Amino acid sequence: MNDPRSASTLALFKDAALHVRNSALDDWKAAGKKVIGHVCSHVPEEIVTAAGMMPFRLRGIEISSTAVGDTYFGPFVCSCPKAILQSAGEGKLDFLDGAVMVQACDSMRRLDECWRKASVEDGARMPHFFHYFGVPHKVTDYSVQWFAEEIERFAKALSAHFSVEITDDAIRRAVALHNETRALLVRLEALRFRDDPPLSGSQSMSIILAGTAMPKEVYNPLLSALLDDLEASPGIGHNGKKRIVLAGSVLDDLALIEAIEHEGALVSADTVCFGARAYQGEVDSSENPYKTLARHYLNEQFCPRMFGYTQARFDLILKKFEDSGADGIVFQNIRFCDLHGSENGLFEKRLEKGGIPAMRVEREYGALADEGRVRMRIGAFLETIRKS
Amino acid sequence: MRKELTEYGYVTAIHSLLSMAPKVAAGTRKEYEKLLSRMPHFRDLIDSMLGLGDPGVLFLQGFAHYAEMVMDAHKNGKKLAFTTFCQSPVIFHAMDVVPVVLEVMTVAGTLIRKSAIGEFMDVCIEAGFSETSCSSQRGSLGAFIAGLADKPDFVCINTPGICDTNANSFAFSAAHFGIPFYQLNYPPTLTDERSRAYHRDDFKNMIAFLEKETGNRLDVDKLRSLMLEMRRQDEMICEIQDLQRLIPNPVPGIYNLFIYALRFTLGGLPECTELLTAMLKKAKENAKAGLSGLTGGVEKKRCLFVYIDHYAANLPLFNFLDKHGITHLGGILDRFYQDEAFYSHGQGYRLETADLDQMIDSLAMQNSRLPMVKQIRGPYDSPEMWLEEVTRLAKELSADFTIYSGTPGCRNTWGMVKLLASDLEKSGYPTHIIASDAFDDRVESWEATAHRLAEFFELRNIVPPVAV
Repeated sequence: MNDPRSASTLALFKDAALHVRNSALDDWKAAGKKVIGHVCSHVPEEIVTAAGMMPFRLRGIEISSTAVGDTYFGPFVCSCPKAILQSAGEGKLDFLDGAVMVQACDSMRRLDECWRKASVEDGARMPHFFHYFGVPHKVTDYSVQWFAEEIERFAKALSAHFSVEITDDAIRRAVALHNETRALLVRLEALRFRDDPPLSGSQSMSIILAGTAMPKEVYNPLLSALLDDLEASPGIGHNGKKRIVLAGSVLDDLALIEAIEHEGALVSADTVCFGARAYQGEVDSSENPYKTLARHYLNEQFCPRMFGYTQARFDLILKKFEDSGADGIVFQNIRFCDLHGSENGLFEKRLEKGGIPAMRVEREYGALADEGRVRMRIGAFLETIRKS
Repeated sequence: MRKELTEYGYVTAIHSLLSMAPKVAAGTRKEYEKLLSRMPHFRDLIDSMLGLGDPGVLFLQGFAHYAEMVMDAHKNGKKLAFTTFCQSPVIFHAMDVVPVVLEVMTVAGTLIRKSAIGEFMDVCIEAGFSETSCSSQRGSLGAFIAGLADKPDFVCINTPGICDTNANSFAFSAAHFGIPFYQLNYPPTLTDERSRAYHRDDFKNMIAFLEKETGNRLDVDKLRSLMLEMRRQDEMICEIQDLQRLIPNPVPGIYNLFIYALRFTLGGLPECTELLTAMLKKAKENAKAGLSGLTGGVEKKRCLFVYIDHYAANLPLFNFLDKHGITHLGGILDRFYQDEAFYSHGQGYRLETADLDQMIDSLAMQNSRLPMVKQIRGPYDSPEMWLEEVTRLAKELSADFTIYSGTPGCRNTWGMVKLLASDLEKSGYPTHIIASDAFDDRVESWEATAHRLAEFFELRNIVPPVAV
């Protein structure tokens, strides 16, 4: 990097990636502005931005146990929503002014009632604005129409609760802002595809994660300046490393990527939730804004909760594999995430048949508790890859 | 997989055993007992089914007929569709499609071969399927993947938005077999106009899919005739369920299973009507005589299952309850929400057949109220959802306690069953959560499950445990 400001930007992004709170978020709150949390990449954040608020993707990081989560959820449930509930129970999400619950998957949808119950029985503060948001599981003219109405219903609820006006023009401006973020992240991805990128996979992921936890108004200029600098910078010695595409379910901690890179590889692309899903495609703003948002957010079918689009997801992973010049693919999923778990199994078999090295890792959400096991498996997998 | 499990086709074996079972009682008592001794994994079930008289025999014959339909579908020029239990089969029968209801086929597999179903489940895992996923599909799906039954022609389900884990099994199946996939999809609310419109559009789209995949045009007269038959069945089911409110409950517990197993597979077909007619007759006779449906006749306590039953080999759950003098008041699997059902309270449907639009509308309404589809599409404590249903059913059926039985693969219910149980306890219903797998006794043996149940009965002062 040539610009001395880039190091501090990277440090700020990493701080936002590793912690629930970050300075940009604190500044936003200090200015008396609102923050709305949500739990799924199918939530149109533009609506929150158009209301003059900050969208914030909820995570369950920096928790000390899962005692609160385990009290309300049963034992056979993904640890991600449990960790988010735990975070709420430990008071770490008290800064939220609102939260949007989504029928993202079976486990995540139950965060709605578990959080409500925990707020009554366990003191987990629940934001006053607590909205249940439906997302269809397929793309048809009537599902897009239904979803457009659902987004409008969300906008009206937000507007009524906080007494703010959400105009079509405000949504269009928000769409432009979020499209700018997407375009910047696509530039970042292009850097990752270089033979010798100027940053590691872990650094890239921390940049993407920061975007889920900072106001876009602050994030975009910082990222833009950083990318200007990185694009003019040489690589940092990744030539010759085995390149890995990381695919699968929610991944918002850097430990797994660091484990892969510690074993001598480079994570050169991803399709994970919190990763590449954040910036795929661009929202068109030519027609009714609710309809365009509905179309965009339903058409991004990276998550296997969108049933019947298996081939499209497989093709996307293959495209990332080819575009990034990767040598292998690591599929990961949180235990009890059957949606990703099954698809990972299916894809692993298909890829192996096609001669593409692939492996599956099942893990718990959060900091890599079983790092030794994962590293050993990753190391063994990397040894099987013959670098061309 | 053990070699003996691959000797016969999966559906063939089910058909063979179930079609022969009713004939077991044709000989002398001595011959009967000798034959039972040759069926160690099926003995108690056959004995108790045949002990029920006509309903037991008709159930065995009905299910054998269904197995035969699946087995011979291709030979008979029909298409085979993978589908799920909570989808009304009428539209499939109308389109000359034989629905392979994976969950029901898994239960059939658990009943006839102890421990075999686990090996079929493992075949799925070898094919890449998640080992933590719901076992209700995993068992029979494994048999199909292993090539022990005809490959299905397409998949048509209605669980996305209801149970994504279920839907995922079918999406996996479609991808594995490389066959077309259709999903009916549900918004999180039940009765608002937005949801109704969605259901209608989605159902019409499904018919277009079925027409494309079968090459058949929907035969309106055939559909009408099936729907009218199903309406008769609906009326009888409502009547039987009305009788369950009596104290003592004159309906044998296993009738609940009969109702849903045949309704999921043969709904709209005469075999289902015949069975229901016999069941209703017997239940009415019991009611007239003031008898409970228990073999001992005396009802000590009344239990509502808030989810599904337990399906270990030989179906020991029903005998276990029977021996304890506990009447089984049903679960969500046999609540269909017909307009005239005592528990519908304005949320029900009625099959209307005046014209095609009415038929499609009412089938869409029916489908949207089927077991699981109705109860868990939204937050469990929202109006018209699970909590409202079970507390109302517990009250209207005079239940003394409630039991949750499910599978570890059920994210949806395990995501909030503790809350549900806590709410039920607060409403005065002792509630036991069975933490085993209703379809896979490798997770917990039936003996261990029974021990915990007995412990619950004793600790909560429900009934004294008895040796079973």
